[in-house]
Amino acid sequence: MEEEKSGTHDRSGRTRRETGEDGRVERRPGEEIDRSRPVAFDFEGKRFSGYEGDTLASALYASGLRIFTRSSKYHRARGLFCVSGRCANCMVNVNGRPNVRACVEPIREGTVVKHQNAWPSLDHDVYSSIERMGRFMPVGFYYKTFINFPWEWKRVRSSMRKLAGLGSLDDELADWKKSAESGDPRSPSPRMDDKAFDQEFMHADVAVVGGGPAGIFAALEAGRLGARVVLVDDQASLGGHLRYDDGEIRLEPSTGEGRYSGRRASQLANELSDAVSQREGLTVVSGATVFGLYESNLLGLVRGNRLIKLRAKQVVISTGAHERFSVFRNNDIPGVFPASGLQRLIRLYGVRPGRSVAILTDGDVGLDVARTLIGAGIGVSVYADSRTGVDLDEPQRVLGGTGAVILSGYAIIESLGKKKVEGATLVRIDENGRAIEGSERKFVCDTICLANSLEADTSLLYQAGCRTVYDVEVGDFIVSGHPASVHSCGGATGIHDLSTSLLQAKVAGLRAAVSLAEGRAGPEVKTARDDLETYSKDLRESESRYRERVRAWKLKLSAAVSGYGGGRGAIATKSFVCICEDVVEEEVLRAISEGFDDIETLKRYSTLSTGPCQGKICLLPSIGLCARETGKSIPQTGRTTSRPPYLPVTMGALAGSELHPTKLTAMHYKHLELGAAMMDLGEWKRPHAYGPVGEEYAAVRGAVGVIDLGTLGRLDVRGKDTPRLLDFVYTHIFSRLQPGKSRYGVICDDAGIILDDGTVTRLSEDHYFVTTSTGNVDFVEQWLEWWIAAQNLDAHVTNLTDGLAAVNVAGPRARDLLKKLTRIDISNEAFPYMNSAEGLVAGVPSILLRIGFVGETGWEIHFPAEYGEYFWDALMDAGKEFGVRPFGVEAQRVLRLDKKHIIVSQDTDALSDPFEADMPWIVKFEKDDFVGKAALAAIKRAGPRRILVGFVMDAGMAHDGDQVYSSDGGDKLIGAVTSARLSPSVGRCVGLALVSSGSTRDDGSLRIMTQGKLSEARVTLRPFYDPDGKRLRS
Amino acid sequence: MGFLLHCPNCGERDAYEFRFGGESRKRPTFSATEKEWADYVYMKKNVAGSEREWWYHRLGCKRWLIAIRDTRDNSVSKTFWLGEE
Repeated sequence: MEEEKSGTHDRSGRTRRETGEDGRVERRPGEEIDRSRPVAFDFEGKRFSGYEGDTLASALYASGLRIFTRSSKYHRARGLFCVSGRCANCMVNVNGRPNVRACVEPIREGTVVKHQNAWPSLDHDVYSSIERMGRFMPVGFYYKTFINFPWEWKRVRSSMRKLAGLGSLDDELADWKKSAESGDPRSPSPRMDDKAFDQEFMHADVAVVGGGPAGIFAALEAGRLGARVVLVDDQASLGGHLRYDDGEIRLEPSTGEGRYSGRRASQLANELSDAVSQREGLTVVSGATVFGLYESNLLGLVRGNRLIKLRAKQVVISTGAHERFSVFRNNDIPGVFPASGLQRLIRLYGVRPGRSVAILTDGDVGLDVARTLIGAGIGVSVYADSRTGVDLDEPQRVLGGTGAVILSGYAIIESLGKKKVEGATLVRIDENGRAIEGSERKFVCDTICLANSLEADTSLLYQAGCRTVYDVEVGDFIVSGHPASVHSCGGATGIHDLSTSLLQAKVAGLRAAVSLAEGRAGPEVKTARDDLETYSKDLRESESRYRERVRAWKLKLSAAVSGYGGGRGAIATKSFVCICEDVVEEEVLRAISEGFDDIETLKRYSTLSTGPCQGKICLLPSIGLCARETGKSIPQTGRTTSRPPYLPVTMGALAGSELHPTKLTAMHYKHLELGAAMMDLGEWKRPHAYGPVGEEYAAVRGAVGVIDLGTLGRLDVRGKDTPRLLDFVYTHIFSRLQPGKSRYGVICDDAGIILDDGTVTRLSEDHYFVTTSTGNVDFVEQWLEWWIAAQNLDAHVTNLTDGLAAVNVAGPRARDLLKKLTRIDISNEAFPYMNSAEGLVAGVPSILLRIGFVGETGWEIHFPAEYGEYFWDALMDAGKEFGVRPFGVEAQRVLRLDKKHIIVSQDTDALSDPFEADMPWIVKFEKDDFVGKAALAAIKRAGPRRILVGFVMDAGMAHDGDQVYSSDGGDKLIGAVTSARLSPSVGRCVGLALVSSGSTRDDGSLRIMTQGKLSEARVTLRPFYDPDGKRLRS
Repeated sequence: MGFLLHCPNCGERDAYEFRFGGESRKRPTFSATEKEWADYVYMKKNVAGSEREWWYHRLGCKRWLIAIRDTRDNSVSKTFWLGEE
């Protein structure tokens, strides 16, 4: 035996004692580790090492670790079990990433691994004392206890959560989340490899799920007519059970692959894997789990931290099978393995699982394990086949002379030991599959191998919509009722015979290929069709031979699915049905006796099969128990529903990479240069203010100000029905608007509710320029397109928002400023209020709109975004002599409030109509029909229930959202403040409030609850500043 | 929501490219009663079965189409432009 470093770490004493010299067996062909390349990592603060090709679990096991986790409820010691990433027994925290399955996580140099759900250590877990309280926590404990003491639940919830369940996110991530929530965008995100998630889209003609022999053959056949095939496998390398099986391959000649007969399984795995890699058009995705099969054949895959959405035209499911679990006393302790788990450890990673193994089998799997063990120099203490009167010649040949006791008609009822297996108690089984009392025999061993018959992995088939029904003769779930584009083969179909599987695979692959070639002719298509027919016929024969072969003993087996031991044992020797959720046989029996005797209600009440393995271990045992206790057959009992995800999926993978889409205006970096405080508005960044808001306000009122309006939505609408479209969608009339004129408009839905507002400018007869509020342009575009489709109009909408920059130049000196930059006549006579023009400004082609949102002489100028910074500089240079200042969103909010100009969704809510918004003039009932006309007519008849009014505070400040009370005393709440600001022009706080109509009149009064105090305010129906609009028209 | 929709203009696309626009129903005329209007605006049928509905090809040609979709399994039997059924 080689001298290996891996087993000689600082706990080497224990390692030697438990696993022999170095924890590894002699090197054998097929091994997937490279013993010349050690890899070091950190576990619980100590240095460990393994080899390249090892998983964390195999390296840790070889180094002597036996307890990998503590169970979720009773904190019982749990060790490696499935060794294939299906169960929850080896979940650890890797580099801060919780719930990583150590048995499928490749070791990487320097990885930091920690245990979960135990304190202070896995070996000595204080919480394991909970188990002694198990008798006080019967099935349905939470429901029963806390329904009477709901307040208690609140008290104990947090400590319960700490005790139960699995891993937790590490503190670093929690800290980061906190700082991210506090709105500090500069906080560094913990973007280590293990926390960076992303997504990928893949497309395939055929997706094959499962890289075992069946999946490989299906993939090869599916590609025969040129289809693009993607083969997905959850293991590190292809080959499925061939990688660790120990027998010789024997294939029926009808498979057409007879040449492989006589090969060793691992050799065949390599040959098939080579064939796959040489095939063009065949892509392999290894180490990826398909967790869901969704509509239109969308497959959800997770591969490490990457989510892959794979869309396929045809799907072949060959997810294989796993050994069924056995229910017996103490069946969950470290050292109990399914045969494949044990074989993977020995054959793939060269790990010595123990010194003396008890093999419990009911078929041929036990023999294969026996060969593996003997070949690896590991002792077998007992080999027991639960079938009575079965021929024992073959086991004798394999195990004769090794000292192993060979039995038939015996099954396990208890494993001995507390934190690891120390022995096994077997019992004789009668003809009906029941234990014969008094026939117990005890054997000393340190490992128990459950070499049970296989159970098909039907979850994905179930998700695909297939029927999966337990067939007593075959002893497994048999699949039928495939949707047209879904095919299956291999162990997943409930048939466990390599020859039959290969025929199934060829049929499935060819069916997919032929369906894709529908309508195609040619010799290769014809050959494929002929082959499909031949293989289908051969498959039928092969399948019936299989049924014949297994019928007798599988019938008997079905009686024993539930296990042989009685469930009512001492607390310390529980019989586990579901090891993820810690559900024991006794609890299941009690639940059934309480009336939860339907498999689906039993699942919900007892939490059976709701843990991380999603029923992969406990599905059949729980059905078997339910059947036994209710006196029904297994098919009558049915099965629980399989839903996505097949395995737990990290939330991060679903969330994808951390992206915050942000839109920047064309002048964004100018604002940053000026030191503007930026704010978020939808996806946009906008300057909130450049300095003191009062100075910006004063510049606009007294000189000239410039604001970046690049965030406004801009739509170009043209086509001969455009006037009709706009008349129909807006409440105002735009067909009568003269070319060159602009008008304010409001869009309502058919309930009369305001959706958006903006200006509409007629550029020419059939050509309009429409602006929308910031962040709402996509909606308005869709809304216009909808009515174009619904009314069958000839009009075309183009969204110009991202292509155009815009500014508003406003103030008494705005004209002086612009005069320096343009030859367009902008005198009040030539270019009055609500007019538009197209021409050059600062040499840049622009659309100018004379609009007065802030209440001064002003022009909204739209121009190509690429001139943004140049244009900005030109304005600032030209305006210097007039005292120009940039102003931000906050100044604009005060300026527009002076004028009582509303902001949709700030001063309106999801129920506001134009009458409530105090704009009755904007609804033109004389039009034939328009969106919202009927509803608005009804509202007009009944009168609005609320009204938006302006108010001026006598003293004090109101704030957005403050409550408004009527002035006639009492505490009658009549509405809320929608906007309130201190207006420098008025010298007091002014605002808008949405209040019940009738509760107020012009010059009436209101009381506003602001900061816990009621303050008087006076209602003002006219604008607070320049009520006659003389300034903006000058 | 992982199903595919056939856009009459762009071909078969992932449903994520589209925006759902609700049931397609006949809009009453202005002279209809208030009840008819209220039914149109507020009362959705919400059938379990085949439904005629609007979809907008948001990330494609930006056109509205009609789809006949089974709300129980998201199978889409037909898509077309309004009026070209």
